[in-house]
Amino acid sequence: MSAGTPSGSGISPDPEPVGAGTGRRAAPEIVAEGFGWTYRGRPRPSLAGCTFRVPPGRVLLVMGPSGSGKSTLARALTGLVPHELPGTWTGTLRVGELDVASTPAQVVSGEAGIVFQEPESQLVMPRVEDEVAFGLENRGWDRAAMQRRVPEALEAVGLAGFERRSTAGLSGGEQQRLAIADVLAPMPGLLVLDEPTANLDPPGMERVFERLAALAAARERTMVIVEHRLDAALPLADLVLVLDATGRQLAFGAPDEVAGRHVAALERMGSWIPRAWHGRSASEDAVPGGEPAAAAPATGGSASVVGARPVPASTSDARRASDGRPADPVLVIEGATLRYPESTGGASRPALLDVRVELRAGERVALVGPNGSGKSTLLFAAAGLRRLEAGRVRVGDGTRPPDADPARLPARRLARSLGLVFQNPELGFVGRTCAAEVAASLVALGSLPDPADPRVRAALEAFGLELLADEDPFRISEGEQRRLGIVAVSIARPPVLLLDEPTFALDRRGAGAVVALLDGLRGEGQAQLMATHDPRLVPACDRVVALDAGRVVFDGPPQVFLADPPYRPAAPWRDTGTPAAPRTDRASRAAPAGVPA
Amino acid sequence: MSFLPAPLEPVRPALLTRLSPTTRLVVGTAWLAVAVIAAGPRVSFALSLVAVVLLVIASGLPLERVPTRLAPLWLAALGLGLLTVLVNPSNGDPTVVALVRAGPLRVTGPALEAGIAIALRLVVIALVSLLVFATSDPTRLADALVQQWRVPYRFAYGTLAALRIVPLLAADWAAITAVHRLRGLQRRSPWGRAAEIGGSLLVLLVSAIRRAERMALAMDARGFDTGRPRGVYRPVALRALDAAALVVGLAIAVAALVLAAI
Repeated sequence: MSAGTPSGSGISPDPEPVGAGTGRRAAPEIVAEGFGWTYRGRPRPSLAGCTFRVPPGRVLLVMGPSGSGKSTLARALTGLVPHELPGTWTGTLRVGELDVASTPAQVVSGEAGIVFQEPESQLVMPRVEDEVAFGLENRGWDRAAMQRRVPEALEAVGLAGFERRSTAGLSGGEQQRLAIADVLAPMPGLLVLDEPTANLDPPGMERVFERLAALAAARERTMVIVEHRLDAALPLADLVLVLDATGRQLAFGAPDEVAGRHVAALERMGSWIPRAWHGRSASEDAVPGGEPAAAAPATGGSASVVGARPVPASTSDARRASDGRPADPVLVIEGATLRYPESTGGASRPALLDVRVELRAGERVALVGPNGSGKSTLLFAAAGLRRLEAGRVRVGDGTRPPDADPARLPARRLARSLGLVFQNPELGFVGRTCAAEVAASLVALGSLPDPADPRVRAALEAFGLELLADEDPFRISEGEQRRLGIVAVSIARPPVLLLDEPTFALDRRGAGAVVALLDGLRGEGQAQLMATHDPRLVPACDRVVALDAGRVVFDGPPQVFLADPPYRPAAPWRDTGTPAAPRTDRASRAAPAGVPA
Repeated sequence: MSFLPAPLEPVRPALLTRLSPTTRLVVGTAWLAVAVIAAGPRVSFALSLVAVVLLVIASGLPLERVPTRLAPLWLAALGLGLLTVLVNPSNGDPTVVALVRAGPLRVTGPALEAGIAIALRLVVIALVSLLVFATSDPTRLADALVQQWRVPYRFAYGTLAALRIVPLLAADWAAITAVHRLRGLQRRSPWGRAAEIGGSLLVLLVSAIRRAERMALAMDARGFDTGRPRGVYRPVALRALDAAALVVGLAIAVAALVLAAI
């Protein structure tokens, strides 16, 4: 690792330029004038009328609801739009001296590096050091320079010593930091991050933001960050660009100015709002629509959800039937134990170790834990899809106590006992229209899968999806897909619904609509077990089960979990935002000179 | 974390892992060609003996895991060998002496020899492929193909990137079948089952294309395939050791041919 690393920030000073054309690029200014973009085949622009200026070395945070063109802007800044993706360009966008529209992609990508949302879709090579070297090889660096630069880039993201590790064996957070090292390695002047922490568990997210804070403090490059996790991202931002749902620029300026003028508009649009802007506490700032557990009515369309003040979560006392007794259990997992297969040179470690979870009717339980702690394995085991080495799983069908092993149930009875919705609901879709998608599940009730069945329309209407009945399930928005997936399995009335990251990558409006839908189903007595990384979802649950290395380390009310999470460090699980690296020049940065308001 | 078994890879440095992958590819191809051309079990037996010796002393592979990981191949070799013995036409030829006679079953010497030859040929193919491909990772093979054989790097490293998507698609497939089972959509009739699998494959294809598009975009953003001369981070040298291995390896192939001829 390079000598002279400043303690604390962990950032190595980048070396002088090495070899021709391989040196550090100066941090560029970004200037947009009436910039817009329409993807080929889309009826309306993804981005329109963007006019802003980011001085060299500053950090721009781009925020807005889903579909507001945030990713399009990120792609344009690195030349992928318009050079790799087809569409129509309007206005001008300049990165330093380069006019993006008329400069070859390889020149723009030499100035600007981009980190995408999914770690697994951007890592190319099987080994860590080769992965970092990949971008340098592409740019024709000589070997000695690469050998110097690779460890430096790894050190800059806190992965020093990981050179020989397998990229597939890293955690999601480590993979994402590796992706940042990849784009830092060629020393671009502009670093663009397109929702870099969306896929990460809370500690992974915190590590990434720590590194981003240190990179921002170094002031060696201009940075543009697109994020939903605003509480962590806002402290890094010198400037904020707000886009509305149609891709138009709503506001641009220093964070304090934008906060003062536009909070109400942001809330109306369904965007997430940084807590610092509305002054709510962590437990209040839940996903909207998280009603208390006591029989919530089936609140349907998003209109009833948007802007609703989140209601503080219920205590587990509320989880009782009307006569005061606890509700009946509908899913019982006892002593569940399972090991991963032995890997070369390593002992097999437990995926689940003596896990006991009980789910009662009308109860929503958050299943939390770091990546690899056994959440997905437990969901699969609960559905009878993964054979346990020890322990057992029992489900009921709503009319009798849980006495059936889901692995042995006949197909239709299983569908009436358990529902499962994955993070990517597309993987389960079989219908050509949304109505047909819901109707497909009618076979579990012994009916024909007829999209005209009155129960299909009733279900779509009850949950605000009636306008989508004739749409192709593959062409609706991600939030709508997630809701459709839930409605489609719930029409078979399973007393237990298993969900994997139900609010993943959704904006406030989308997440609120999903939770409102789940509230309605819970009000009818459905029990819900949801694996999630999003602390904002936790207050909307009745109970939290926390896993660590395959064991249950906590089982209790969400308030208790959030007050003292059973993980070290605990802070990321509270979603209190991320402590930024020391920033001595914060005051001088609050209002950069010459910024158009 | 994955429930897939870990791949078979060297756990210690060894002679074969120090060779260039292209050297192993040339010698291995020559051996396989000889095993396929040469009839009779003697050549296959000799080559599998050599391969086993190399596996034990020069591969660096974890030997205790080899038998179980190649279990399907052993079974295939056994099954194919037995089948060949049973259906051999010489069994029905009364002029050939029978070695085994049990009711209607009659096995002759040539039939037994043909069966053993087929089984051993499969064993040779399995062992030689293991020695060629499992003794270095795919990256080194891609590096060697690009640097020594001028294979276009676009193809070689594009293939490496595609390999990374395979386990993700396996996970997608598991999710698709899981949802179908839990929604009660699995059909029992063969025709319905075929339609269901067809639909699932279409969904998998959509997912694969999306993942490939995202991967391609990420590679473009990192300057892949811009037509510039590419730097080399991992040079793969051809050394004296490779020359020696080539000479010895090809000599063994020639010797095997001679053995087949006499």
